Amino acid sequence: MRKANILAERNVDDLLDKLRGLFADITAEDIMIKSVVTLTKDRTMWQAKELMRICKISGVPITDGDNQLEGIVSIEDIIVALEGNYITDPIEKHMTRDLITFSPETNLEMLIERFNRYRYGRFPVVDSNGKLLGIISKKDIIGAVLDKFRLIYVHDTRRREVLEKSVDWFDKSLISGDYVEKTSADFVYHIDYTDIDTAGVGSAKLKSYLKTLTDDDTLIRRVSIACYEAEVNVVIHSGSEGYIFAWYDEDVARVRVEDYGRGIDNVEQAMKEGFSTASDHVRELGFGAGMGLPNMRRYSDKMVVVSEAGKGVVVEMHFYRNGRK
Amino acid sequence: MKLNELVQKCELRVITSLPLETDISDAYIGDLLSDVMGNAPSESIWLTVQSHLNILAVATIVGARAIVLCNGLHFEKATISKADETGVVLLESDETTFNLALKLMKCGLKG
Repeated sequence: MRKANILAERNVDDLLDKLRGLFADITAEDIMIKSVVTLTKDRTMWQAKELMRICKISGVPITDGDNQLEGIVSIEDIIVALEGNYITDPIEKHMTRDLITFSPETNLEMLIERFNRYRYGRFPVVDSNGKLLGIISKKDIIGAVLDKFRLIYVHDTRRREVLEKSVDWFDKSLISGDYVEKTSADFVYHIDYTDIDTAGVGSAKLKSYLKTLTDDDTLIRRVSIACYEAEVNVVIHSGSEGYIFAWYDEDVARVRVEDYGRGIDNVEQAMKEGFSTASDHVRELGFGAGMGLPNMRRYSDKMVVVSEAGKGVVVEMHFYRNGRK
Repeated sequence: MKLNELVQKCELRVITSLPLETDISDAYIGDLLSDVMGNAPSESIWLTVQSHLNILAVATIVGARAIVLCNGLHFEKATISKADETGVVLLESDETTFNLALKLMKCGLKG
């Protein structure tokens, strides 16, 4: 156990180093919004408020006619002006003049450090002469990081092919240990994880397929409910495409759902009723009740889940004709 | 009990053009999809406030014959256009879920 922890720590350090390398070359110039709305200081606080409302921004840089940065009016300044009853005063009297600015070369690490230290919502970017070049808010930083991540992901999809070949739980049955002939499956469905609206469609299809094979409604219901949960997990958790494979013969229905995505850190915890790592967004849609794996266990006769963080998930379930009701 | 009888007595708006001859023997209330999946009986009517496309898959798999959207909410367009294909009847009610459940009970739905 201890050895494992040390290993894990080393992995985290490696990962951080890699990430730092990836993001080191992002600068303020890459992130900043260049088309900045500005005002001159002879305008009123009221006009600044209106501009912020209409443009849905939380701060306005104040510049002179030559684009020289002179100050900032933020939402906080507006609130104070409203409270102090001087919202009709000219900006010049109340703008924040003591500014923290970035040069275009400031790197991401420094940007984040400044955001944490000064707690402002936005920072202007100025050239060496103090002329305004752009503005950066936290949202812009997140956007830049996500863009970078998308690139990493594209690069990373190649990893999957290797993973599929080298990890043998992608080839072997988790329950019987035999090699799985996926090409011989009676039913195959490709799970599209990018469209949450279609989550469950594969299992509904499996249900109508099974109806053509048997009139054992209890069995069909058990299989499709358990399969649905596995399918939804792929869509809301894996961040990867996946497959449903199903085999049917007179005594047993076998279902195997696999993906190549994030994986489960702690399978034991995930098996607990009510435990979920789902995002608020999918919870609002009624997913993420923490009943997925418990439902699968409840409706199947045999079930095995194998996963490792970052290496996808394979769920295999067997349903016997005369199994549980 | 026939679905059209419940529709009439409980003043439900019928959104789909599917037949209402189905027999309904039970009902279930739930907004968490996995909860409905795990516990809703088949041949049932499902009361919920979820209106997005995924409810059709849930109803199909669990065997619910009709979905009633309560609290005066309206189904999303995508859900309505897909419903006929799945054979799941969509209904709307201005009642709260609890009040509608009471009405269904008065109509004779036993559960």
